[in-house]
Amino acid sequence: MDFLVQGFIQALRLLLAGDKEVYSIAFLTLKVSGLATLVSLLLGVPMGLYLAVSRFRGREFLVGGVNAGMGLPPTVVGLWVALFFWRRGPLGFLGLMYTPTAMVIAQTIIATPLVAGLTMSAVQQLSPKLRLQILALGASPLQFWWLIIKEVRLGILAAVMAGFGRVIAEVGASMAVGGNVRWYSRVLTTSIVLEVNKGNFSLALALSFVLLLITYSITYLLTVLQQRRRQA
Amino acid sequence: MTSVLAVKNIVVKRGRRFRLQVDEFAVEPGEVVALIGPNGAGKSTLLTVLACLSLPDKGELFFLREKVSKGNALAVRRQLAVVFQEPLLLDSSVLENAALGLKLRGQKTGAKDRAYTWLQRFGVEHLATQNALTLSGGEAQRVSLARAFALEPKVLLLDEPFASIDVISRSTLIKEFKSVLSSTKTTAILVTHDFQEVLALASRVVILDQGRIRAQGTPRGIAAHEIWGGLAGAQIPPMPGS
Amino acid sequence: MRGEKLFSLLLLVLLVITLTACGTEPAANGEEPLEPEIKDLILSTTTSTQDSGLLDELIPIFEEETGYLVKTIAVGTGKALEMASLGEADVLLVHAPEAEKEVEAAGDVINRQLVMHNDFVLVGPAEDPAGLQELETAPEAFAALFENEAGFVTRGDDSGTDKMEKGIWADLELEPEGDWYIDAGSGMADTLKIASEKAAYTLTDRGTYLALKDTLDLDILFEGDEILLNIYHVMQVNPDKFDGINAAGAEAFVEFMVAKETQDLIGEFGVDRFGSPLFFPDAQ
Repeated sequence: MDFLVQGFIQALRLLLAGDKEVYSIAFLTLKVSGLATLVSLLLGVPMGLYLAVSRFRGREFLVGGVNAGMGLPPTVVGLWVALFFWRRGPLGFLGLMYTPTAMVIAQTIIATPLVAGLTMSAVQQLSPKLRLQILALGASPLQFWWLIIKEVRLGILAAVMAGFGRVIAEVGASMAVGGNVRWYSRVLTTSIVLEVNKGNFSLALALSFVLLLITYSITYLLTVLQQRRRQA
Repeated sequence: MTSVLAVKNIVVKRGRRFRLQVDEFAVEPGEVVALIGPNGAGKSTLLTVLACLSLPDKGELFFLREKVSKGNALAVRRQLAVVFQEPLLLDSSVLENAALGLKLRGQKTGAKDRAYTWLQRFGVEHLATQNALTLSGGEAQRVSLARAFALEPKVLLLDEPFASIDVISRSTLIKEFKSVLSSTKTTAILVTHDFQEVLALASRVVILDQGRIRAQGTPRGIAAHEIWGGLAGAQIPPMPGS
Repeated sequence: MRGEKLFSLLLLVLLVITLTACGTEPAANGEEPLEPEIKDLILSTTTSTQDSGLLDELIPIFEEETGYLVKTIAVGTGKALEMASLGEADVLLVHAPEAEKEVEAAGDVINRQLVMHNDFVLVGPAEDPAGLQELETAPEAFAALFENEAGFVTRGDDSGTDKMEKGIWADLELEPEGDWYIDAGSGMADTLKIASEKAAYTLTDRGTYLALKDTLDLDILFEGDEILLNIYHVMQVNPDKFDGINAAGAEAFVEFMVAKETQDLIGEFGVDRFGSPLFFPDAQ
């Protein structure tokens, strides 16, 4: 019990005292995971829409891939991205290994199937006739997709929450391709692992509270948005 | 007279099977054509083709003598309106829904006023600010009809629009619909199972079976026909006043 | 509709966050005295080294003096050496002399220099059921653990500590197995936690133990044998063997680690916190 209380107090102290390192870690975490979520949204939503609406050879294969990808272990993604970005890897010349950019790429790979899958299932829950109706109302292709996106916006919001929640919580990929370099690529999850290893349990606990606080605030904001919409 | 919509030698396939094969069919201005026939006869398929929602595998579709192709399908669609069996409203207010088609067609100014007038016409203007997904089936279908009429379509295509509405509301709605139809002189194509609707609304009946047109004529003519009368399931009520 | 506006707003906010985030990509520190040709220097080291906190003290000094950006990648000893063999690191700080010599012989690393040592100790419950406190040598202590089947937690993660423990068993020609031999597959801190919970013995580096002492029900029960020394060497990855190695940076780091000022700092590290140093500087 003492531990929890201590950790909580330390977390508050770190936040209130404006501990420079904690703030920089928290900010980098938000930046990396926020960016990854955004990119996965830009990739995953069109992918999900397309897979839900179109019929083509090999579609089942891709849908299966997306569904399997929703549970992709971060460690595996980290390993593969690392293999590509290593100096001797095919993309080694980019010099991206152990950079925040590499972390964004890995997290994007983790979140994109999730966003695509949830978007796809949201669209599939719409009546197939609705698509005909929208076309019949005179929608151009662009207007069509915009209306479909608007129609499944609650599903997309859920996808954003799930994607963000997943990448901000993952540690394996960030550790593998970011390297947990202090002041540079250290995010909340990797620093928690580090502090646990160092035996700084109360600091680790404090950092975990910061992580929970961030995750909860963001998810809460999105939930408010979602639920307000429901009642309208 | 120039047909508003016409098809020539069209073939629609599902896989290898013929779904629809129509050599010639045309709709003249002011007509209300009913498409009837058993399940799977190809009525809805023909309607989708006529509405430019899917191009046929073979054959041609003409809108006011102009051949419809991929290039002008959108422009043609923007002259038509379709009402399906389900109301198919979107997750926004009733007024937004009713004005949606106009907005999509670029008629933004006055869209909401016009939509509101049509909501009034179908007696659902008091629901204007409500979310459309909260409406009952009957209310929603009225909004769907208002949305279609607001577009002032050259042809209004309807796919069993009254089938999901309970019997009591149905007859009232059909009456209102009929009066709107005749006052606006809207050309319409109506897919239906219900011969009562045909009698109430249609000026011509086309019978489809197994993807082909089997017969056409006036509603009473078809009903009286020794073979097709049975298919139409018609038990003709005595015509009021005749 | 309100909901739709909020939705659009959300997209906008995300976009703005992205743009500002892009704008604040880690910029080079303006006040650096030197501008090295290749800035990034990848230091491959072991988790226990990083966990001790020593590098957090030393690396900022090195960075300030030289202008390099050190990317400290803390992994298991096996992986750290593997990174050298693959040319994926520039410089190494590790503590597995035998394995290091092999990598050096293969020509993967050069300029290998002794930096410091710390030592391993056997910790366990205060009652000391295996009676380690009476024993003189580490092999005797391990043999006693084996005979008594006293609970023992092994890291099982192929780390330097793990390798040392397995090496001692192998020298004794003993094969520990059974309920008493618990494979944690974890880092040092977790392994100590498990040993404490299970009232079992484990082999640990002194530094981690001292850092965690207050949270553990474990005492030092055996220490002082020469074979329990943990010897750290620093070395450069061979720039002639691999492309893209930051040779100048690696050489500078090796020099830095064996420099007198750095050695003094190593000798003082931890004294204020634990009352005794965690590392003993060894460079001449």
